[in-house]
Amino acid sequence: MRFRMTTWAILLALLVPVAFASGCSDEKPVKVNLSKREDLVAPRMVEAITYAYLPQYSHTISYQRHRRLLEYLRKTTGLPLRQIFPDTFEEHVKMVERGEIDISYSNPFVYVRLAKAGAQAFARVIEPSGEPNFRGQIIARSDNAAINTINDCRGKRWIAVDPNSAGGYLFPLGLFYNHGIKLSDFETVDFAPGPGGKQEKVVLAVHAGVYDIGTIRKGTLDVVRNKIDLGSIRVLAETRAYPGWVYAARKGLDPAVVDAIARAMFALNVDTAEHRAILSAAGMKGIIPARDIDYDPVRKLAEKLNLDR
Amino acid sequence: MRIFPRLKFRTKLNLGMSAILVGMAVLLLPLIGTMSANSLVEESKKRGSALAEGLSVRAVDPLLARDFLRLKNMVDEQSSVEDVIYAFVQDKNGFVLVHTFQKGFPVDLIDANKVATGQPLHIQLLADGSRRIYDFAAPVLVSDGRLGTVRIGLSQARIQMAVQRQLTLMAALFAGALILATSLGTVFARRVTARLGRLRAHAEEMLTGNLDTFSGPEWGIHCWEKQQCNTTQCPAYGETRRRCWYIAGTMCPDCNNEGNFQCRLESCRRCAVYRENAGDEIQDLAETFDVMALSLKSHIEELRDAERNLRDQQRLTRTILDVSPDRVSLVDSTMRYRGCNKSFAESVGMSLAEIEGKTDFDLFPEAEAEERHMAARDILQSGRRLDTQLMVEAGGGEHWFHVVCVPVFNDKGHIDGLLRTDRDISDIKRYENQLIQAQKMESLGLLAGGVAHEINTPLGIILGYAQLLQEDVDAGSQIHQDLAIIEKQTQVCKKIVADLLGFSRQTQSAKREMCFNNSVMEAVSLVRHTLELDKVEIITQLDDRYPIIYGDPEKLKQAWINLLTNARDAMAGQGGTILIRTRLDTPGGIVSLWVADNGSGIAEEALKKIFDPFYSTKAVDKGTGLGLSVSFGIIEDHGGDIRAESPVPKDFGFPSDAKRGAGGGGTVFEVNLPLDHEGPEGGEPEKE
Repeated sequence: MRFRMTTWAILLALLVPVAFASGCSDEKPVKVNLSKREDLVAPRMVEAITYAYLPQYSHTISYQRHRRLLEYLRKTTGLPLRQIFPDTFEEHVKMVERGEIDISYSNPFVYVRLAKAGAQAFARVIEPSGEPNFRGQIIARSDNAAINTINDCRGKRWIAVDPNSAGGYLFPLGLFYNHGIKLSDFETVDFAPGPGGKQEKVVLAVHAGVYDIGTIRKGTLDVVRNKIDLGSIRVLAETRAYPGWVYAARKGLDPAVVDAIARAMFALNVDTAEHRAILSAAGMKGIIPARDIDYDPVRKLAEKLNLDR
Repeated sequence: MRIFPRLKFRTKLNLGMSAILVGMAVLLLPLIGTMSANSLVEESKKRGSALAEGLSVRAVDPLLARDFLRLKNMVDEQSSVEDVIYAFVQDKNGFVLVHTFQKGFPVDLIDANKVATGQPLHIQLLADGSRRIYDFAAPVLVSDGRLGTVRIGLSQARIQMAVQRQLTLMAALFAGALILATSLGTVFARRVTARLGRLRAHAEEMLTGNLDTFSGPEWGIHCWEKQQCNTTQCPAYGETRRRCWYIAGTMCPDCNNEGNFQCRLESCRRCAVYRENAGDEIQDLAETFDVMALSLKSHIEELRDAERNLRDQQRLTRTILDVSPDRVSLVDSTMRYRGCNKSFAESVGMSLAEIEGKTDFDLFPEAEAEERHMAARDILQSGRRLDTQLMVEAGGGEHWFHVVCVPVFNDKGHIDGLLRTDRDISDIKRYENQLIQAQKMESLGLLAGGVAHEINTPLGIILGYAQLLQEDVDAGSQIHQDLAIIEKQTQVCKKIVADLLGFSRQTQSAKREMCFNNSVMEAVSLVRHTLELDKVEIITQLDDRYPIIYGDPEKLKQAWINLLTNARDAMAGQGGTILIRTRLDTPGGIVSLWVADNGSGIAEEALKKIFDPFYSTKAVDKGTGLGLSVSFGIIEDHGGDIRAESPVPKDFGFPSDAKRGAGGGGTVFEVNLPLDHEGPEGGEPEKE
């Protein structure tokens, strides 16, 4: 009898601490007083030279692409550069016009508009292809048997990047014009919705089958390589090459600043490992000097498309 | 304080089930509560982390675009989540860009939680007076660059409330389970204990002697009905109180009639009757119980019969033993008395019950006990029976016993005890002695008769010649006197020879009706003169009614003379008085004669032997020892009896002025003779 009692007692003595020990928590709280409140006032922003990348991709990608370049420029020139992120092409243009963007990195079509507002091109990029030019592409789903040539695009649903997109709308539109296809010949012509990331949205819309054809800047497919199976997308046609993306300084920006930045940019050498990393992140092979005259082919195309406003 | 063993079985079952559930609840609730609390906290932390990380990812674009509206919308979305207390976004310098607080921002929060570079998230428990908050800080990262920090505060109280809810729910579940288990347990226990209670009640009834109880279920179909069998000689046929598998020797072809109960039961398990009727363990128990009661009842009845038989046998044996005059006793191997008969008990003066367990030494004088003990031990050791005759002196006399003592063997052949029978053969012994004496007397009589007959003739011639020679000599001469002495002594010899002849010869008695007093007076007159010479006075007190008896006057006279001379001899020559008294007792049909003297008397030991032939206390030349023996024979021949008493009783009425004798108390002889008589061979009495 005594043995049984002892056994029970031992069992209880073992179990009870097990039952209660697990309830203990070793977290110690930090004391805060939520009733002590203040109205926060943001510190004044440091004056800086603003740098903006035409929002053809999402802000994140834009930031990722140009962060290293900006750091490089800041370090090399000693200028306080800050990247800002307009949401749309239109906003970008407006901000340049208003002088909110000092250094604009935009496509040639946007540049043509900026130039009208007094912006001055001072550098252009060498595309990853090695050329200082770039092209647009017309894509369709690989399994869409109805579309094999450009002419098959007639009457189809078309999604383009933005009315101001060079590679993603205007170059292919010129190509369609060359084939005698007018805007009114399409069933619908839509543009990628929302802010930023518009090139990717086009690929994804075609991939999803919401649109029959899409137009993108050449090189976009590499960007979405990790998002979709590239085998399911077929490049129907490519436009002719146009001068590539361009760096322009707003009207009235100190030429010394522009010069310092331009020199730093031109100093970037793809053969240097450090520079290669910067250029590669930005999706370019190098930066070369540019003049406004280089963009006349684009101005002509705009005229042809009756976009010369 | 043994409370638990006294509780009802039903209560114990309920208590046991409740104790298990309560014990489980007590042990598991804290454990599960803690585990679920921990998992809920973990889950909440994961949720908070997911919220913070999600917010940090989504905040990238608005942060880059410095779109405070979108940022504000984003943090406001977070605060719409149930337990989110606050959410805010800091830039990389720690400045709060947007937050969900309505009036001002609690500045303590800014530095309350920091996420280090390279860490994906940091969770910090905050305490604000009454409540606790989990603060999640997630860095807003783009590539490897950091744009700022997203902070979300989750109420711990809500987590605890959820934990509490869960615990309450579980406690309720346990309580529900407890109630359900107790209710079900009660129903179950009641069913079980009701049957057990019935069994117990029947067991109690059995204890009080009622074996006609029936514990098993009454439902179920009987085998002969189910099998539609008409084997009326089968022991199971018509049996309603026992299931067929409890009955040995059933004649069903499907049954295994051999082997024990378990073997039979094996074959029963396949039988349709069994499958229909067999129940659970309690039913088995109840049915077994019934069978047990039934067989117990029949066994008890058999036992009672046997007991009655045994009792009858015992009574018979006891009667046989008790009516036997033999002393029968039984001792065990330790020589203690285990039984005896009435005669034995009386002989030792104890009751039958008292004797049981006693030893010889408790019952008998030491010498006798020792003797019995030794004999018994000898038999126990040797196993030989004892068959002997023993003389025991008790009550002032000798008693002869024929003793048979036999060993009693048990079923293993070992001696278990002794049975001893002591038969009183004192009478037989006495008759045997008398027979021997009679044989001796007969031989002696023949011898004496022969000798007396041979001597009688020469004695007659001697007497004749002596008398003739007296006539031839002068009357006063010496020769005449000598011859007179010769004649006298010859007469004495003749008398002796005549006695001898009378003793030895089986002469036919010449009985006739005669006067008893005359016969006495004749004898007195014959001896009076001679006795007076010896200074012995004879006083007669005769009944004057002159009783008439049927007898031989001569023989009776002889007997009286013997008695008188015997009395004279008791005087030892010193003279005395002899009182002769006769009395007629007509109603008793007897006539009595007493011859009393005041002589030397007879010793008590000698009194028993005085009637034996040749027994004499006198000197060798003073008597033959035949007188009283002859008298005894004569009286017996007349159908009477004779006995002697010494000293003379005081109330006898012996004259106090009588002539003093030798002194010694004297002796009185009493003779009783019957008045009625039967003639020889029933014939007419001979007339005088």
